[in-house]
Amino acid sequence: MIQWRTVRHLDPWIVLVGLALAGFGALLIYSASLTSYPEGIQGLSHPTVRHLTFAALGLVVVGLVAWLDYRLLGQITPTLYAVALVLLVGVLVVGTETYGAQRWLNFAGLSIQASEVAKLLVIIVLAKYLADRQLEIGQLRTFLGSLAIVALPTALVFLEPDLGTAIIFGAAWLGMVAVAGVRPQHILAFLATLALSTPFVVVALMGDYQRERIATFLNPALDPLGGGFNMIQAEISIGSGGIFGKGLTEGTQTQLDYLQTPTRDYIFSVLGEELGLVGALLLFALFAFLLFRGLRTASLARDPFGRLIATGIVIMILFQVFINVGVNIRLLPVTGIPLPFISEGGSSILMLFVALGLLESILLRHKQIEF
Amino acid sequence: MDFFSGGRRWRSQKPKRREDAYTPGRKFLLLHILIALLFAILTVQLVRMQVFQSDDYQAQAEDNRLREVQVLPMRGLIYDRNHTLLVENVANYSAVIVPADLPTKEEAAVFARLESLLGIPAQEIAQQVRERREDGNPYEALVIKDELDRDTALILKELTSYLPGVDLQVETRRNYLSGDLTAHILGYVGRISAEEYAASKDGGYVLNDQLGKTGIELVYEDMLRGEPGKKLVEVDASGRQQDVLDSQTSQPGQNVMLTIDLELQRRTADILREFMGASDNAAAVVMDVDTGEVLAMVSLPSYDNNLFSETLSQEELDTLLSEPGKPLVNHAIAEMYPPGSSFKPITGLAALQEGVATTSTTIVSHGYITVPNQYDPSVVYVFHDWAALGPLDFYGGISWSSDVYFYYLAGGKQDEGFQGLGEERLARYARSFGLGEPTGVNLPGESAGLVPDAKWKEQTVGEMWYVGDTYNFGIGQGYLAVTPLQLLDAVVAIANGGELLRPQLVKEVRDCHDNVVATFAKEIRRRLPVDEDYLAVVREAMRQSVSTGVAGSAKVPGLEVAGKTGTAEFGSPEEAGGYDTHGWFVGFAPYEDPEIAVVVFVQQGGGFANAAPVAARIFDYYFHQRYVAEQEAP
Repeated sequence: MIQWRTVRHLDPWIVLVGLALAGFGALLIYSASLTSYPEGIQGLSHPTVRHLTFAALGLVVVGLVAWLDYRLLGQITPTLYAVALVLLVGVLVVGTETYGAQRWLNFAGLSIQASEVAKLLVIIVLAKYLADRQLEIGQLRTFLGSLAIVALPTALVFLEPDLGTAIIFGAAWLGMVAVAGVRPQHILAFLATLALSTPFVVVALMGDYQRERIATFLNPALDPLGGGFNMIQAEISIGSGGIFGKGLTEGTQTQLDYLQTPTRDYIFSVLGEELGLVGALLLFALFAFLLFRGLRTASLARDPFGRLIATGIVIMILFQVFINVGVNIRLLPVTGIPLPFISEGGSSILMLFVALGLLESILLRHKQIEF
Repeated sequence: MDFFSGGRRWRSQKPKRREDAYTPGRKFLLLHILIALLFAILTVQLVRMQVFQSDDYQAQAEDNRLREVQVLPMRGLIYDRNHTLLVENVANYSAVIVPADLPTKEEAAVFARLESLLGIPAQEIAQQVRERREDGNPYEALVIKDELDRDTALILKELTSYLPGVDLQVETRRNYLSGDLTAHILGYVGRISAEEYAASKDGGYVLNDQLGKTGIELVYEDMLRGEPGKKLVEVDASGRQQDVLDSQTSQPGQNVMLTIDLELQRRTADILREFMGASDNAAAVVMDVDTGEVLAMVSLPSYDNNLFSETLSQEELDTLLSEPGKPLVNHAIAEMYPPGSSFKPITGLAALQEGVATTSTTIVSHGYITVPNQYDPSVVYVFHDWAALGPLDFYGGISWSSDVYFYYLAGGKQDEGFQGLGEERLARYARSFGLGEPTGVNLPGESAGLVPDAKWKEQTVGEMWYVGDTYNFGIGQGYLAVTPLQLLDAVVAIANGGELLRPQLVKEVRDCHDNVVATFAKEIRRRLPVDEDYLAVVREAMRQSVSTGVAGSAKVPGLEVAGKTGTAEFGSPEEAGGYDTHGWFVGFAPYEDPEIAVVVFVQQGGGFANAAPVAARIFDYYFHQRYVAEQEAP
């Protein structure tokens, strides 16, 4: 399907940085799971081993997806959209509940986090929709059509309830329509409507669970031993890490169990405590580098479809990082979002490598025209 | 820089780019800026937290992980004078909750698990936890149930790793080896009350702590308690100890050696129980005449002070409180009774010292004397003697316990020109013998007794003092009231030649290495204001009282006992015209060189029938049987 010579178009940095982040994550998961696995790594079920296994699988996935022509995906977008919706409805109906939200689908012995898969599928569907309408991109119909495509899965995710992923859907859509070239007036009008309807959303659509989280965010002292506890402890962990951190596996907050889900949503607190500001800046640099490489991919894409997919992926990863870290350092209310490549969780890491594979696939084909 | 600007390395791409139909450059610039901006926001917040406020957060993290824990000292032991152990410390397992460590969401599940293990309703536990939180002490352990049996304790120990906030606390409990035999002396320890805790917060007590509540346990609390130690421990988020970072060992309490002779105490209790019959209560005290050391102090009925080491149920407490014999009260020191004739030696000594009588003062008892009403001579009051004893000298007056003889000495007989002591002088002498004031024995709850006089009667009863009051006073009746220990202490002073002593219960205090840290020497409260010769007269009169007089039931073969009985009337007259009586005996032995003195009090008993025989058995044991036992001991 592809010419061997085009392999030189691949961007090795994307895969290398993805693997570096996964390795970074494995170190932090190792430290964060010492309280549950005081003996260290003793078997394949250890979270660190699982994380590295998923990363290795991810490498294979990158190869497969890169080899596959992403444009083929454009031909089956109705199916992809259907799969995304089935997953999201399924998780609401038969999902497993953790921490007050239904997020997991148990399927053939695997736990799949539906929204992780749906995110990428919806980005592809949306990219196709916008790419097909480059000529009528300025029309309100196109704008509203794209909004409709993203609104349905967003609403389903919101019902789980998973406010964070809902925001990521919204952010990805906004970035993609902007890059696709919709009229700025449409975007501004939409944002204005959103701002005006916010009070209505808070009162009528948000669950008690979400309102409580926001209230606790504004004043964690309301509930210092309950919901506020995690926020306060995450803040203390990071703040007490200082510039250089207490050293890997040496963080008192982490090792004495003060953090909830330290291998997942609060893994940044482990990093902040044990590796300090230096470790956090290293993480930011890796992410920024990866995202810039993603934007480079977008700018090199041969067609709007590829460009929009790359844009969507960059925005998805960017907002996931921002929201996750923002929650950890008390800039944002608590919402459960994994830190890409770092947090424990197979669905998340595999889908991220699929995303990297798509970027490579786009790069691989951007010069087909040469031949 | 090269990586971000995009594709310069792919030279072949360059010309094509210009032809590209799409011009996304400006939008990607915005996205670059967005990425930079979002990471900048995160970085600013991180720098604020990790650079500028780091010290503050570090302090909070230290607060989280470090906890100072008190290590309770081993409480001192208590021995009798012969080194017989009276109380030991045994392990007590209790289930405790540290409210702050409970998982908020699964709290109810924890309570439910405890309910099934301990049988305490979950609601009750929740209520206690709520109260402790409201008190603002969520880190102080709350005892849910103590006295767990070993099996339950082991199960709980296993469970603590799954039930955050729940802990097994191992404490020591007092086990009183002699139980009810020494309960009134030793007292007991109990959980510190909220008020006691507030009052002694710097004294090293923690909530749930134990401290002496009464008896020696209370009075010698400071010595028995010891110095608590401290431990700086690292705890995890559930409050479980991970590591001990620093510790300062506790200092065990000091051991107290009593003056009590446990075997004598046991004999005294047995004998007293045998002779008290159906009386509600009785008391007996044995004291060393020279030193004031209390060798035995028995109050019946008694109670088992081990009940208070465990958690006493309200019903058990109510039973103890509602018993007519008031088992919680130490009748030897805490309640006062009219001494009756056992007071006559004091009236007699006052009369000799004041010159009201001499040994040869002879008075004839016709069985009563009469006193005309001072305003209406046709009204005549009659004061009875217990028999028409005929002419009696001083010795006869005491040994036959003539009431008439002491009516004369106390109140005089105006129509015969006999000047008595009068209430003022009688009260003064009574007080000089230590009546009307606590003896200062090292036990809580001692009664001061009551020595009446005209002023007191006017203020309290609201009536004037009559000659009849003086008559009653002279024979230990009327308003006069003493505790058995007070009466004994007064007679000890008569026996030892005039030294009014402070009764001692503690011989010495030793530290945990058995070094003596304090000894209690004899303490003279004052000398009696009576000549040595007169004391000898009264001692002789008391000897006669036992050998030839009315106290014959106190006789011990082979031992010269001196003593005085008393059968004190109290309450209102019975239908037959008589009164209910208390039986008393107070005396010492051997007569020539007194060693010990004994007081026996039997409520609703007689001096001759109940009290004196008890004293005789005690003297017999002390001088004849115990000696043999001691010779055999190594």
